[in-house]
Amino acid sequence: MSNEGFINALSAGLTPVRRRSVRRETLVLAALGALELALFVAVASTRADMTNAITHPLMWWKLGGLTLLVGISVFTALRSLSPGAFPRRGLVLIGSTAGLIAAIGAFINPGIATDMPMLNRLAPMHGLTCTACIIALSVPMLAVLAVFMRRGASTHPEATALAIGIGSGSWGALVFALRCPMNDPLYILLWYCVACATVTVLARLVLPRITHL
Amino acid sequence: MSLAIPFLPATVLQSADVAGRRKPEGVRLAEDEWGRLMSAAQAGNGGAYRRLLADLTVWLGRYFARRLPAGEVDDAVQETLLAVHRNRHTYDPAYPLGPWLGAIAKRKWIDQLRALERRSAEMLTDTIATPDHEAAITSATVLSSLMSQLRPAQSQVILLVKVQGYSIQDASRETGQSVSAVKVNIHRGLGRLTNLVSKTNDVE
Repeated sequence: MSNEGFINALSAGLTPVRRRSVRRETLVLAALGALELALFVAVASTRADMTNAITHPLMWWKLGGLTLLVGISVFTALRSLSPGAFPRRGLVLIGSTAGLIAAIGAFINPGIATDMPMLNRLAPMHGLTCTACIIALSVPMLAVLAVFMRRGASTHPEATALAIGIGSGSWGALVFALRCPMNDPLYILLWYCVACATVTVLARLVLPRITHL
Repeated sequence: MSLAIPFLPATVLQSADVAGRRKPEGVRLAEDEWGRLMSAAQAGNGGAYRRLLADLTVWLGRYFARRLPAGEVDDAVQETLLAVHRNRHTYDPAYPLGPWLGAIAKRKWIDQLRALERRSAEMLTDTIATPDHEAAITSATVLSSLMSQLRPAQSQVILLVKVQGYSIQDASRETGQSVSAVKVNIHRGLGRLTNLVSKTNDVE
């Protein structure tokens, strides 16, 4: 088909389109997050000693760090859904923030005995359960962000998928942190990272395949 | 946008890159006009959309003619127009259309290169009549093989600044390298290229 014919075909019967809005998408995600959080607290409730735990720096490190990661990752992902927006800086910021959060964790007194054997501290069976819960809790956010990505037009789909994966995994971890009774930074770093990494790898492998510019 | 700004020499338009490089005033005006046309198209104005696509076809034709074999240009233009059509809801009229279009065109260029690479193993008949691009293709092949011997950070900034004409600042923004790192990588990369070429007896 000639270019002229092609242009006529595209412009014939043109209908108005609803512009993509980052604000609208942010509001949808915020509503989804609030709903998921409310359902989780209603069904699973928070940890039994939450009133005490919330006063401990470890809890603030956990919640604050994850909130920061969710915010930066989701912002990076949503911003990269428009052509011309390059998510590399956002990804660098995410990596730096994650490193900083991990480093801060090393200086927090967990308030528990840290001279236990490593295997006891890491509690693999409990850790795997935590990982599975975090992955399950990240699915709603991942699904909605995948819909946004499919509807958007990322010109760097691999990088966008990474940001979506990190954001969704961090969100799952943030919700689960309200229930997780573990107070060891080493345990939290290992198993939360395993869960976030799993969600991120999944997003990186799947999302670029279901989107098409 | 040559149709909308006839006073602007074609060479200026040809050399302008909408992907973020500093542009002459005429090109910025053209992009503003494109933005207005796209905004009208988003509201369902078919006439504005037809005019915009016609303008974009001219620009895209020039863009791909400098980057792809002649036989691939029309395909790439139509693929890009289709992507523009499918994703027109993602354009924000608060910003110029140029970077938005440039990003889509760049992505489509990469897709076309990948498709070319996949098809490179296919047999061609002797009866295809095309203009002679031997010199350009040979240059591109030689350049590609030389660039592959540089560090990725060096080849990336050399391609952006020396081949595509980005400014140092834009290349820094695009690659995430600092301005001084871009300068150092260009300097060292060009030095390494010079060494490589001088050690080669016959680059063709």
